[in-house]
Amino acid sequence: MLNDKKRILLVDDDIDLLEQNKLLIESKGYEVITAESGKQGWEVFTKEKPDAAVIDLIMEEHDSGFILSYKIKKDEHGKNIPVIILTSATYVTGFKFGASTKEEKEWIKCDAFIHKPVVIDELIHKLESFVETARTEKV
Amino acid sequence: MEKATSEILIEKKEQLEIKVLIVDDEKGLRTGTKRLLEREGYIVVTAENGNEGIAYGTSEEFDIAIIDLKMPDMDGIEVLKKIRELYPNTICFIATAYASYETAIESTKLGAYSYIPKPFTPEELLDHIRKGYEKRAYLLEAERWKKEREERLLEVAFEKTRLNTIINSISDGLLVVNKDGEAVLFNPSALKYLNLDNIEIEENIIERLHPEAADLLNKFLDTGIYEPKSYMAEIEIKPNHELVVEANCSSVPHPDGSLAGVVVVLRNITEYKKIEMLKNQFVSMVSHELKAPIAAVYGYLKIFDDSSIKLTHEQKKNYINRSVIRLDGLLKMVNDLLDISRIEMKTVQREIKDLELQEILRFVLDTFQIEINKKKLSVDLAVDTFIPPFKGDFDEINRLFTNLISNAIKYNRDEGKINVKICKDNSYIVTEITDTGIGLKPEEQKKLFSEFFRVKNEKTKNISGTGLGLSIVKRIVDAYAGKIEVESEYGTGTIFKVYLPYKNL
Repeated sequence: MLNDKKRILLVDDDIDLLEQNKLLIESKGYEVITAESGKQGWEVFTKEKPDAAVIDLIMEEHDSGFILSYKIKKDEHGKNIPVIILTSATYVTGFKFGASTKEEKEWIKCDAFIHKPVVIDELIHKLESFVETARTEKV
Repeated sequence: MEKATSEILIEKKEQLEIKVLIVDDEKGLRTGTKRLLEREGYIVVTAENGNEGIAYGTSEEFDIAIIDLKMPDMDGIEVLKKIRELYPNTICFIATAYASYETAIESTKLGAYSYIPKPFTPEELLDHIRKGYEKRAYLLEAERWKKEREERLLEVAFEKTRLNTIINSISDGLLVVNKDGEAVLFNPSALKYLNLDNIEIEENIIERLHPEAADLLNKFLDTGIYEPKSYMAEIEIKPNHELVVEANCSSVPHPDGSLAGVVVVLRNITEYKKIEMLKNQFVSMVSHELKAPIAAVYGYLKIFDDSSIKLTHEQKKNYINRSVIRLDGLLKMVNDLLDISRIEMKTVQREIKDLELQEILRFVLDTFQIEINKKKLSVDLAVDTFIPPFKGDFDEINRLFTNLISNAIKYNRDEGKINVKICKDNSYIVTEITDTGIGLKPEEQKKLFSEFFRVKNEKTKNISGTGLGLSIVKRIVDAYAGKIEVESEYGTGTIFKVYLPYKNL
């Protein structure tokens, strides 16, 4: 089992960023399955049952990433896998991101936020730390 | 001596001009009294019976009336009543030969100043009249004072009402509270902007106010000291920016400089906030939209630079191709944004000329010939006779139709149709552009002209665009006081109708 490549669901509506991040994550020894919208992401998730999900925040809607991550975390399989949300939102664009209030934390179920452009080592580090935590918790 | 006496007489006459009415059936008494009084400077009118007395006494105001009690046609009391009814300040004497206690009481009850027992000496008469006149002077003075006072009160009341009317008419809200936080004065706008149904005068209003408004007032009320400064806050009275007011709060002093209360002026800034929000949204959308292609190209460059990633020749070619496409899109977007900003800032230098719209549409369709052929579209341009020229700037009108025709091609199906019809109604030249494209859902039609809105679905996935084309179209149409309408059926096609006015320009 440990030798099996972990499968990451990568969801982004920008096909170029999708391609690039796929290459980057693959280069770190993961298998990547992709989707180009929140809606498609959910379809792929239910079919493929990936080991982790990396989701862009703003896709067809401004909160598509939140909605998908919420649905995944509510899912029987999904509640045990790490979900990371990618965001290009900064103080400049004015979009609020991150879970700062209690209500938001309750609603936003993702495990981490990563800023775009993605620094691949940061992403992999986060992913592995979550996989590690999950493993130790199981033990 | 003589001179002095005549001077006094003249003075007397000028000063007084006291008018006396004598009502008596006894001729000798009338003439005698008249002569006596006129010599003393009085103006005298005589009446020989009761009716005549009433007629004179009510036709003008006399200072003094001397009325005989017993007259053949009527009782002097009747005459007295009638005169006093109209002129309550006329001093009336009842003259009677039958002086009795009862008569005296009766006549004074009815308003006689006094009675003069007949016969009387000239001195007695003059003395009575002098006293009576003094009384009248007091009465007149008192009346003048009363009238003045009433006038002043009326004036004050009027000023107060006028001030109230003005305060109630101000579109800004006004609320005044005393130093205990009790409402003292407010206008209808204040109710509206504080979202309150009613305010009772003297009720403690602070706890019923929006917390932020209460905080503002308490800044003064808590210190209890008058300070010549003001505090301001923007308060969202109704959530979701439905009602935002700017509250400006200052303290009101007593004449001795102590704190009397606080006055709050509330201004509705909802619209202003909406515009501000739209502007912020626009800026954040622009940043986001500009960042995406940069990030994409940046990402490819990083991958090329990453020695740990081995790329095939095909991949490299593909990524360079994709980078060029993204940069191309970025450039178009920047150009569109510059156009929008030029139109918005009204810095566009318009060269207004007579334009033949049919010529412009022919020109636009020509420039798209390659794309039209590629999709095997059939194009029809129908122009009514007598289309008046349109006064406009060629580049702008060209841009308007280029964007619309470009959409009609991009979103059309292969072997579809584009029909362009130009006609006129009473005031507009109407250009109808009909395509057989993907069509729009009702909710998409609503957002169609907003910046960066693009229909996102499987069919549009591979169609490039900045999301600004129709926004520019709308701005150009607006700039010429025209209008644009859209009719569409999802899956069937879309009709854009552009109305450009050919009059009044």
